[in-house]
Amino acid sequence: MAVVGSVKTALQVAEVLEAIVSRCVGPEGRQVLCTKPTGEVLLSRDGGRLLEALHLDHPIARIIVACVSSHLKKTGDGAKTFVIFLCHLLRGLRAITEKEKDSLISENIQTFERCWKNCCQWKFICQALLTFQTQILDGIMDQYLSRHFLSIFSSSAKERTLCRSSLELLLEAYFCGRVGRNNHKFISQLMCNFFFKSTISDSRLEVFELVDDCFVELNVSVTGLPVSDSRIIDGLVLHRDFSVYCPADGDMRVAIVRETIQPLFSTSGSEFVLNSEAQFQTSQIWIMERTKSIMKHLRSQNVRLLLSSVKQPDLVIYYARLNGISVVDCLSSEEISLIQRIISLSPFVLPQASLQCEISNPALVKFCKPLILRSKRYVHLGLMSTCTFAPHCIILCGPVQGLIEQHENALHGAFKMLRQLFKDFDLNYVKKSNDQNDTLSPHVKNNDELEKNQYLQAHSNLVVSDAELETYIPCSTPKLLPTDTVQTDETWRCLPPENKKINDDYELLIESNSSSNPITENTRIETYCENLQVTNIAGKESTLPMKYKSLDTHISQSYCSSSVPAGCVLPVGGSFEILLHYYLLNYAKKCQQLQEIMVSKLIASALLGIPKILYKPKKGNHNFPQIYLRALHALQTNQPIISCQAGLESVIGKYHLLTSVLQCLTKILTVDLIINIKRQPQKSCDQDSEDELQH
Amino acid sequence: MMSCLEAKKPSLCHREPLTAEKVRTTLAVLKGVLTSCYGPFGRLKQLHNGVGGSVCTTSQSAVLLRNLSVTHPVLKVLIASVQNHVSCFSDCGLFTAILCCNLIENVQKTNLATATAIKLNKRLLNFCTNYLRSESCGCRIPVDFSSTQILLCLVRSVLTSKPACMLTRKEVDHISTLILRAFLFTIPESTKNPIILGKSIIISLKGPRVTDSTVLPGVLIEIPEIQLMKTLPVRKSSALKVALFSTSLSGDFSDPGEGSVVVSYRVSLENAVLDQLINLGRQLVSDHVDLVLCQKVMHPSLKRFLRTHHIIAIDRVGVTPIEPLSKATGAQPIGSLGPVSPSSYGSVKDWHSAQFGCKHFFHLIPNEAPVCTLLLCNRNDTVADELKLACQTALHVLQLTVKEPWVLLGGGCTETHLAACIRHTTHKEPGNILQGEGCTQAELQLIAEAFCSALESLAGSLEHDGGEILTDMKHGHFWSMQAGLPSVVNWPDLLSQCGCGVYSSQEELSWSVLRNTCHPFAPQTCIPHEALEINQQPARGLIVDCLTAKLSGLQVAVETANLILDLAYVIEDKN
Repeated sequence: MAVVGSVKTALQVAEVLEAIVSRCVGPEGRQVLCTKPTGEVLLSRDGGRLLEALHLDHPIARIIVACVSSHLKKTGDGAKTFVIFLCHLLRGLRAITEKEKDSLISENIQTFERCWKNCCQWKFICQALLTFQTQILDGIMDQYLSRHFLSIFSSSAKERTLCRSSLELLLEAYFCGRVGRNNHKFISQLMCNFFFKSTISDSRLEVFELVDDCFVELNVSVTGLPVSDSRIIDGLVLHRDFSVYCPADGDMRVAIVRETIQPLFSTSGSEFVLNSEAQFQTSQIWIMERTKSIMKHLRSQNVRLLLSSVKQPDLVIYYARLNGISVVDCLSSEEISLIQRIISLSPFVLPQASLQCEISNPALVKFCKPLILRSKRYVHLGLMSTCTFAPHCIILCGPVQGLIEQHENALHGAFKMLRQLFKDFDLNYVKKSNDQNDTLSPHVKNNDELEKNQYLQAHSNLVVSDAELETYIPCSTPKLLPTDTVQTDETWRCLPPENKKINDDYELLIESNSSSNPITENTRIETYCENLQVTNIAGKESTLPMKYKSLDTHISQSYCSSSVPAGCVLPVGGSFEILLHYYLLNYAKKCQQLQEIMVSKLIASALLGIPKILYKPKKGNHNFPQIYLRALHALQTNQPIISCQAGLESVIGKYHLLTSVLQCLTKILTVDLIINIKRQPQKSCDQDSEDELQH
Repeated sequence: MMSCLEAKKPSLCHREPLTAEKVRTTLAVLKGVLTSCYGPFGRLKQLHNGVGGSVCTTSQSAVLLRNLSVTHPVLKVLIASVQNHVSCFSDCGLFTAILCCNLIENVQKTNLATATAIKLNKRLLNFCTNYLRSESCGCRIPVDFSSTQILLCLVRSVLTSKPACMLTRKEVDHISTLILRAFLFTIPESTKNPIILGKSIIISLKGPRVTDSTVLPGVLIEIPEIQLMKTLPVRKSSALKVALFSTSLSGDFSDPGEGSVVVSYRVSLENAVLDQLINLGRQLVSDHVDLVLCQKVMHPSLKRFLRTHHIIAIDRVGVTPIEPLSKATGAQPIGSLGPVSPSSYGSVKDWHSAQFGCKHFFHLIPNEAPVCTLLLCNRNDTVADELKLACQTALHVLQLTVKEPWVLLGGGCTETHLAACIRHTTHKEPGNILQGEGCTQAELQLIAEAFCSALESLAGSLEHDGGEILTDMKHGHFWSMQAGLPSVVNWPDLLSQCGCGVYSSQEELSWSVLRNTCHPFAPQTCIPHEALEINQQPARGLIVDCLTAKLSGLQVAVETANLILDLAYVIEDKN
């Protein structure tokens, strides 16, 4: 069956996902219990995990889930916000479609043609979205948003030092959305302790990479104990017990082997021919002697601990015990590679002939002892680190495995997030220097005040009914978009050769609207209050041809590159969204291209969806309209925005989220038809197609 | 290679799982099953598989929960968390499970926003743990290791709370002394740091009477009668030398490596290995070894050879006894057929052959190693399993008590006392618990009431015969009154002592029925010294619980309840 891929269906899907996800988002979010087919249960508030656990069937849902998980892989945060934001974007787009339908009802076009037309229109929007993401967003980030950025580094003098309190704020806010309500403080403290204990110098990026890569090896889960028993311990914990344990003090060395120390009769590909019983006996004796002498040699080199990735035979164990060497065998290759990374020790290669060689690398061990956690035995290893990572392990306790896994994933995600945060991020954008720019700025303020007034009016009219208040934003601001698009579209389709001209018309039109011509200004503002479409039409009738000529001379492009420095944060609770919303609207006002205006306004209004959900359970002075108004006021009067919530969030994480969502949206929009193939998926792609298209 | 590719079925997603009627009823059923098992007068449950197999009678949470099969994910979480607690602490499983069920039920009845309820539950839990760990705690007794009284009370409380062991009072006394003795055996003589406790092995025997159970120093190895007859007893006055083999002595050629081994015609590897084995035997003889123990199989020829040289050879010992044997004898398990280093040998003081019931044992008596064997006799299988589990619990609880030398009052008194404390504090100083969390006092009152009644109804489930449950207004202890007694009588005459046995009814107390909401009162904090002195007479033993296990049980119960209350969705994977 083929289904027409449309915004409507995508929105339906996204709305279902949003309903699930919005109950888990933010500090007031709740837990979700997932069962696996094996019968295990998993607790989660991690959006990505939830979406995967749903095993969604719908193709659009699968696109969304795939986008979310690839986003998570990169950043480790923001899956729930992703869905909410996407949903709001789709809602904005649907508003456009509905407008279009009204206009199309009169024309009696067949469904399919309309579908294709839709498709063209979506493609057009997609391109606009992509241009916005690649060319405009970075500019707005750099030119406007960056002045609001805070840093988690306290930049005293020349060097920047990481401030513990701001890291705590950042982590607490992160875990607020990830772990159970009573545990986020504890877990963020745990993470903070781990972080400060395990980083030696200031080169933290290396540590993040190591921790991110080897996270599984760096934590131990203990079920049956209360969460508050979780702790950080010095050294590494290997998930194995000693095969031999010989207590030892003082100067100790460690050797890593990847093969059995006992020589075998034959290696692979060779043949060992036994001709007599005596030969067999002597070779066995030789094997024994050889093993014995290797172990003696190791001991003489002061090796007191042997770490092996394979199982060592009884003979080796026996001689190790006799020589006082502790043995841990059957270690996973990940554990071995982690140890190698920490102490930069290459594996001990068994000498072929003589045993005179020294062991290449004298890696020292501080201690090695058994560690018993809930009657399970582990090896506790204190290593002298040669890299910037001071080995520490996290012991995670919890009543059930599912909860521990949640904490484990949250911690892992936090490291991913920090890894991103501690990198500089480059921004590249096209800067359009417009000679009218400067004159624009006071004008924009006017507009804003106006908007605010309007908002206040709405507020007073609707008498604090929350539900109705919320509808205000999507209704009023983007109202001008739908009509515009429709018109453009239609004309564009009808008159292909004049395409460019008409587009330019629209650009001009907007320009003329926002020009600071003192004569037109008054009328414009008035009409702005009542109906935007009126303005458009008025503009169209007016000074079109004249402006057309002057267009090229006015705009010149220049490519800029800048960067978001490492450690940029913003206060939690929708600050990023509200700021970007504000600046996008501003941008839209001075922008000339219709597509840009449309896209900016669409994104700006969708951005508000996130703070709206965050502030939903708040009462009194902390509900969304209040917060929004205060923020707008602060922005207009150039005052710092006061956030009512303590906590910080990474700017770069938010930026990545925005770009990922936009990419996902374009992916959804470019699909016009979903074809369901009722055949087993095939690995080889031989193209003798028997696919039947059913409509 | 055939590969089966099948599209995954979509999962089922339920909203607000706790509001579903089905979940509520199953939770109530589970709670009913668990409460009816609770305490010394708990009812037994018979578990049997419809297909066949053994029938087991039990009232212990460990056995019960392992065998219950639940399907709903919410119940799975509950049961998994209780099971995890039990595997950590052995004790207080039912306590945890029932408290958790009670809390979920009570909090749901309040109809408060889950966020607030969870926050306040956590606050109340913190209050409880702080109180139980504080010096002024009124339901905690320090353990005096110079006398065995409290420890014995602790063991006895554990045993009596498992009615499926079917022990008489006399048998309980006997077994508790044995358990305590076995525990004391495992404490090493030397006091070097850190102290590593020895090992006590529990062997369960079917047939003899419970009172025939004993504790023996050293290790018992079960061997067939014929083998015992063959091993000729050779008595020596000095210590006996022991060799312990962890490798196989059967003469099989184990690891040829990854390549191939080609054996020429007429070369017999068996003979070659056998020669090696006999050489090993010769070395053992010349080293004057008296006893050879082998984890795996020993070649009959080697056995015969050793026997002719008056060496006792016992094979197929198995992997579990190797560690205690190594501990008891000081021998290192030998993993080579080559020359044995003299330092690998160990020694024992003496050995016997012994018969208990119908089984024959080889009994090794160590010099002074902290290893002992607890032989538990019982008449039938089910009861034997139950008793063995109870003894393991008791031993574990004793170990925990050594680490944290406090015990809590048992018999429901700790629960009612805690409830009284919470009521009093929330009434008088709500700020102490709220600590500016943004919750109102009224919300706190509601949740505190839910929390306290969860604790109290937990204590109340100790009573199974329809009796009335009371609490006194001075100490906040738990008192139960027989059912069917005339109502208008003097209460002190009806009640003899409180649940834990610290207070008697003759102390001018006033009581109130637990179910009625009473006016909050400040329970007396410290336990008067005299009260303990009198009651440490063996005749009137106290009922006490392990502090570590109970505290952790309390925490796990509240955390699990919070977790379950916090669920917004359940996503069931239907693949």
